[in-house]
Amino acid sequence: MTAKREVLPWPQRPHDAAGTSQVSMAVRGGDFLFISGLIAVDPNSGEPMRGTTAGETRQILTQLAQLLAAAGSSLDKVVKVNVLLASMLEAPNMNEVYARFFPDPPPARTVCGARLPDGAKVMIECTALA
Amino acid sequence: MREVIAAPRAGLDLRAHYGHHQSPAIRAGGLIFCSGMLPVDPETGERLHGTLTSEAHVIFGNLKLILEAAGSSLAHLVQVHALIYDSIEYDVLNRVYRQYVADGPPARTVWAAQIEAGFKVELDVIAAA
Repeated sequence: MTAKREVLPWPQRPHDAAGTSQVSMAVRGGDFLFISGLIAVDPNSGEPMRGTTAGETRQILTQLAQLLAAAGSSLDKVVKVNVLLASMLEAPNMNEVYARFFPDPPPARTVCGARLPDGAKVMIECTALA
Repeated sequence: MREVIAAPRAGLDLRAHYGHHQSPAIRAGGLIFCSGMLPVDPETGERLHGTLTSEAHVIFGNLKLILEAAGSSLAHLVQVHALIYDSIEYDVLNRVYRQYVADGPPARTVWAAQIEAGFKVELDVIAAA
C-alpha cells in the first residue's frame, strides 16, 4: 500500500498565518485532513488581527470554514478540535461564538490555556474527515 | 462517516452540565477521538477537585466508561495528550498513569497548561475503534 499524503493549498494566500512557508495549513493523510493551528489574521493583508476572544474566534472559524471547503471538507466533517486560549477565563466567550459555527451534535473538543504567539488570544487546530 | 458517541452516564455530558459545545467522543476513520476528559463525577457531573492523583483516577474511570461505550477500551489507546497544571507533578502523573495503561503503552505527550476550572490534570486521547 502506498502512503498517501497531500499538502493542500491555502485558498487565499500563498503563506501561512505567520507569513512563512514552513507550515502547511492543511495536509490530507489517510481518511483525515489535519489543519494547522490558526490564529486570527486579516484575510486581505494576512496581518495578525487582534481583538477580543470572541472576535478572534469568529475570524478564525470563518477562515477555517473556507479552508475546509477549499479542501473538499466542511465544519460538519470535523471530528476533533483543540482550542488554545491565552486565558481560560475567556473560555465562555469563545464557546458562545464557537457554538454558532459548529453543527449539532458538535465535534469532540479540548480547550486549554497556553501562551500563544504574536499576542494572539485564540488558536484553533482541528482534524476533519477528508 | 462521523459517528457521535453519546455520554454513557449522565455526568459525562459536559455539554448538558456546563454548556461546552462538544460531543463526548467521535468515531471516524477507525479511530475514536475523545473530548478532553476532566475529573467530573460520572453520575452527577460534579467537579471533583483534588490532588493530581485523585483527579487522574477519576479521569481514567471516566475514559474507561466512554471508550467501552464506544466498543473500545483503555487497552486500545493510540495517543494521549496529558495536560497538567505544573510540570513539577510529572512524576506524580506517571505513578498513577502506569496503573491504567498496559504494557506497550500509547504514544504520549505531557505538557503544562492552564486547565479549565483550576483542575490539575486533563487527558485528551485517541483510541482505536
